[in-house]
Amino acid sequence: MSGHDSKYFSTTKKGEIPELKEELNSQYKDKRKDAVKKVIAAMTVGKDVSSLFTDVVNCMQTENLELKKLVYLYLINYAKSQPDLAILAVNTFVKDSQDPNPLIRALAVRTMGCIRVDKITEYLCDPLQRCLKDDDPYVRKTAAICVAKLYDINAELVEDRGFLEALKDLISDNNPMVVANAVAALAEIQESSARPIFEITSHTLTKLLTALNECTEWGQVFILDSLSRYKATDARDAENIVERVTPRLQHANCAVVLSAVKIILLQMELITSTDVVRNLCKKMAPPLVTLLSAEPEIQYVALRNINLIVQKRPTILAHEIKVFFCKYNDPIYVKMEKLEIMIKLASDRNIDQVLLEFKEYATEVDVDFVRKAVRAIGRCAIKLDRAAERCISVLLELIKIKVNYVVQEAIIVIKDIFRRYPNTYESIIATLCESLDNLDEPEAKASMIWIIGEYAERIDNADELLESFLESFPEEPALVQLQLLTATVKLFLKKPTEGPQQMIQAVLNNATVETDNPDLRDRAYIYWRLLSTDPEAAKDVVLAEKPVISDDSNQLDSSLLDELLANISTLSSVYHKPPEAFISRVKAAPRADDEEFADAGEAGYSESPSQGVDGASPSSSTGTSSNVPVKQPAAPAPIPDLLGDLMGLDNALVPVDEPTALSGPPLPVVLPSTTGQGLQISAQLVRRDGQIFYDISFENGTQSVLDGFMIQFNKNTFGLAAGGPLQVTPLQPGASARTLLPMVFSQNVSPGAPNSLLQVAVKNNQQPVWYFSDKGSLHVFFGEDGKMERTSFLEAWKSLPDDNEFSKEYPNSVINSIDATIENLAASNVFFIAKRKNANMDVLYLSAKIPRGIPFLIELTAAVGVPGAKCAVKTPNKEFVPLFFEAMEPLIK
Amino acid sequence: MISQFFVLSQRGDHIVFRDYRGEVPKGSAEIFFRKVKFWNEDEAEEAPPVFNIDGVNYIHVKVAGLFFVVTTMVNISPSLLLELLQRIARVTKDYLGVLNEDSLRKNFILVYELLDEVIDFGYPQTTSTEALKSYIFNEPIMVDAGRLPPLGPAAMFMQGTKRMPGTAVTKSVVANEPGGKKREEIFVDIIEKISVTFSSSGYILTSEIDGTIQMKSYLSGNPEIRLALNEDLGIGRSGSSTHDYRSSSGGGSVILDDCNFHESVQLDSFDIDRTLHLIPHDGEFSVMNYRMTQEFKPPFRVTALIEEAGPSRAEVILKIRADFSANVTANTITVQMPVPSYTMRASFELEAGAMGQTTDFKEGTRRLEWNLKKIVGGSEHTLRAKLTFSQESHGNLTKEAGPVNMNFTIPMYNASKLQVRYLQIAKKSKTYNPYRWVRYVTQANSYVARL
Repeated sequence: MSGHDSKYFSTTKKGEIPELKEELNSQYKDKRKDAVKKVIAAMTVGKDVSSLFTDVVNCMQTENLELKKLVYLYLINYAKSQPDLAILAVNTFVKDSQDPNPLIRALAVRTMGCIRVDKITEYLCDPLQRCLKDDDPYVRKTAAICVAKLYDINAELVEDRGFLEALKDLISDNNPMVVANAVAALAEIQESSARPIFEITSHTLTKLLTALNECTEWGQVFILDSLSRYKATDARDAENIVERVTPRLQHANCAVVLSAVKIILLQMELITSTDVVRNLCKKMAPPLVTLLSAEPEIQYVALRNINLIVQKRPTILAHEIKVFFCKYNDPIYVKMEKLEIMIKLASDRNIDQVLLEFKEYATEVDVDFVRKAVRAIGRCAIKLDRAAERCISVLLELIKIKVNYVVQEAIIVIKDIFRRYPNTYESIIATLCESLDNLDEPEAKASMIWIIGEYAERIDNADELLESFLESFPEEPALVQLQLLTATVKLFLKKPTEGPQQMIQAVLNNATVETDNPDLRDRAYIYWRLLSTDPEAAKDVVLAEKPVISDDSNQLDSSLLDELLANISTLSSVYHKPPEAFISRVKAAPRADDEEFADAGEAGYSESPSQGVDGASPSSSTGTSSNVPVKQPAAPAPIPDLLGDLMGLDNALVPVDEPTALSGPPLPVVLPSTTGQGLQISAQLVRRDGQIFYDISFENGTQSVLDGFMIQFNKNTFGLAAGGPLQVTPLQPGASARTLLPMVFSQNVSPGAPNSLLQVAVKNNQQPVWYFSDKGSLHVFFGEDGKMERTSFLEAWKSLPDDNEFSKEYPNSVINSIDATIENLAASNVFFIAKRKNANMDVLYLSAKIPRGIPFLIELTAAVGVPGAKCAVKTPNKEFVPLFFEAMEPLIK
Repeated sequence: MISQFFVLSQRGDHIVFRDYRGEVPKGSAEIFFRKVKFWNEDEAEEAPPVFNIDGVNYIHVKVAGLFFVVTTMVNISPSLLLELLQRIARVTKDYLGVLNEDSLRKNFILVYELLDEVIDFGYPQTTSTEALKSYIFNEPIMVDAGRLPPLGPAAMFMQGTKRMPGTAVTKSVVANEPGGKKREEIFVDIIEKISVTFSSSGYILTSEIDGTIQMKSYLSGNPEIRLALNEDLGIGRSGSSTHDYRSSSGGGSVILDDCNFHESVQLDSFDIDRTLHLIPHDGEFSVMNYRMTQEFKPPFRVTALIEEAGPSRAEVILKIRADFSANVTANTITVQMPVPSYTMRASFELEAGAMGQTTDFKEGTRRLEWNLKKIVGGSEHTLRAKLTFSQESHGNLTKEAGPVNMNFTIPMYNASKLQVRYLQIAKKSKTYNPYRWVRYVTQANSYVARL
């Protein structure tokens, strides 16, 4: 070959395509090869060269592997858009799959699997079958992956042709590379199937452990990750696995090390011998630390994982704090993570060393890092009471440098320290007050004001200080206003003299009359009433002793932590979110919360949590946890903290009034009698005459009369709440009652990705409160106002970007009559707009609308009497799409 | 598994783009680039290597000024992806000799061919240059390496010293020499990156060596190699990990905290005679990585002093002493010191007869910078600087200035004392005598003196 490939990028004059066409059909091999290269070059820069399809495919029949590969590359790219022409290539593929050269055989199956065209897929099966049993391991390992490709295109075909069994056989292959690929393929197929396909039995376990020692580093990761799904039978079994996996900790590839760590951590849970556990912890420490010598990108991943590991097993790295000291040239994202781990590992033994480091960091250049370092000092003070005094003296040293953002950050953490150690360090207030004029950040201001209010009796000029803030009251952010209000009330209660009295008048006036902020107004009114009715009571409330705050550096709650630990070495352990929070890939059985996570883009640092500034209610915010969004996995089991939420709502439990007898089709059971101590509850959301009801029925299987039924709904995606009291008569033993509870939309909307989960609490006078979750279908929310005019539909469709279009196949739906379908859909408020014929297919255009005015523009394609319908939808609110598809399924059955 | 792999230039141009699964919405490369470029609206702040936008996970590394990126839709091991990206960069470099935008563009067909063998349907297959050779048919097209900045740790050997044949490290492992005959040679590089933090009183707070034994073989026929290390090499620290750095310097034996090996290394006799057996692959790879926190003698002593010299003036004295033998020379030394943000001017005073030294005051970042071309072992150098402030200082100069950071490269020196006692190549014939290059180099990683 002569010259440079880049010459293929050079543009020729007009008629590039005809010129290429001519060259592709040249009688000279070299010229043809050059031409194909030019075509590929054009393709990679995004030019459309699909019109050359036939000419390129003609070059495919060649013994020259280099040229063959190029043609295949082209085919993969364009087969999808030219399915009819792609069939031209099939013969060559099939022939190649029986070529004496194993490279050509493998190349043929590999490429065929990448062409996602149904017609090609049919022809793929026979070659694949042969290649799975090929003599050459290179061909077998390629065929193993090809099964996963085929499963992705047509799962049924894979099962019918027995490819799954063939894959399982490959686990026993004598070539470790083949084993690794078979494991990878099976694991992927398992991921997308609800059925158990790839179970790790003790038999497969032995095979995998054997292959582990011989395969490539990547294969080792596939195998280790599959092994992590194995549930050991007992401690001995677990020890055995750990023993086989431990040598992997010595691997140079960090992914292998982390996957091995994951298995060891999981199996350790089962190991009872403390000696063994201690020994394992010792063995894991050096490899974990060694990860920090890798490239910064890998260090970051390692640190995010270590962060989780030390929360669960602090002993592993308790003596290694020095390795987490920040290096001068660490990227900022590494430094931030190191800081977080240093706080977690800080102890009475090493705190002096740690403080020395923090102090140094607090004078560095990067503002975010400096702030975090200052906060870290405060968090250590809160965590280690014996070190609190040393921490404070470091903070005071830092304040003296008078760097504004350092001072402000220090004030924020000192406020927390005051709360943690009341009446201990107030002597430093005077120093803090020196910086009063320079505070310009809301959080720092609010903290300072809190300090002034809380210690008003010890600060001689507290009234003057507060007054200086009051001047700008209307312009302050809400956070500061709320603190000013509370601090002024505190001041007044502590020093009920003339000055504070005037101040309180002004503040209350400002906060009730002049503001639009309902929180501020409500709080002001409460104070006002308290003060005017009973100043002593006001004292008891406002100046009540505050609950002690605690160290929050182990912020993740234990169930989330366990879930994340089970996901060590995966993306989940880097984001500190459970996988379903950011994985949107649809499984065979889609889950309600299989959606994108709203702020998943912020996979940055876990920011340092701060204590909430306390307000009127002393029980509020005793240390807000980290801002790593902790999303509860949608658990069908009772949610234990629902009661807290229930009480927090102002419309407490709704009492039961009049009964209404009702009958209808049986409702799904939401609380089985075994859980409800004899009481069975069945319920479903329904829509009647434009209104949403909760159709609920009770069956009393207990020995006594049940009365006083009340119901409460937790915050949910649509803000659905009871629109009136639950009307159920006292229920005799053995009797049942059914009622329609009207539902309304409230402002209590739960944040996060939309789901159709409804968490419900029901109580009666005889039994404890019952919690259950019910899963409603989106179609009850389809409003009667969902019909769109043809023109507005068209406009809306055009105005929405293509990114907002989604489609789904319903392979089992059969439409027997278009008219009946339209009628049927209209009954569920999915309105017909237009239809057209496309070949033998009918295309219907429909619209629907859910609360908050969210429209769905629907295109439904199906052939009458033939199974399979395709539903395409466009909507401005993408996050509702999975719910929508779920809701449509029963409607077009 | 992996959905897409792409390489972007610093300006965001696509250099390589390969979609393995067709499941990621269009425009992912642009979305990625925008996010990385404007992470936190702060150009200075680097984006973390792993993040998620709209359900697509982006994992990237920066190599040779290029972004190597993969996307995935599933919850897989990000360290696997990061390792893979580094490995792809290395394999590509093995093939192309030089890794940069130009060489990738010139060889795009070869690169796509490589990518098809390295990743199938998003699953990493093989990244060993050796194994790949039997599946790759395109020949690399060499780019002129001379004017290009060399890449990788071994590149440091090119600087200044004429010890090595210049083309060796930028030579493709698969391409034939112009003469048609390959030169039989093997490079073994012991590369150590050292991190030391000195306290203001000059005593060592933390010290660490990250070392790697890197090998690049151009030997034909893959002969077996024996690499013998210090006989008294110890692995694993015993006892408590709190070190007392003032204790007498150890008995001379090298004790590593931890080490790991390339999978091709056989360790059968390692425990007995500290010898590694291996059949080197083609291409560059790390035979062994090690980490040491045992006390060692830092190559440089750094002292820095800042003192008030009048109401809005201060004087800085920087002193470095080379604590290594006189037949070793360090090169490309940079000393940087941040000064108070209200510093307006700095005037420098170099020692008498200073050669090859430059000084600068970077106003944007408020740093003093002192560059020295070379430092001979045993010598000492001093820089004085007078600072003029725009306001009176708060009397906390030591808090507002520093820490001093130093960068250097010392060829043929290693701080850990880990050594290759011998490098033995199984002989094919009596006349077979390939070139063997065993090279040592020490680099500063984070070399910091606090004020």
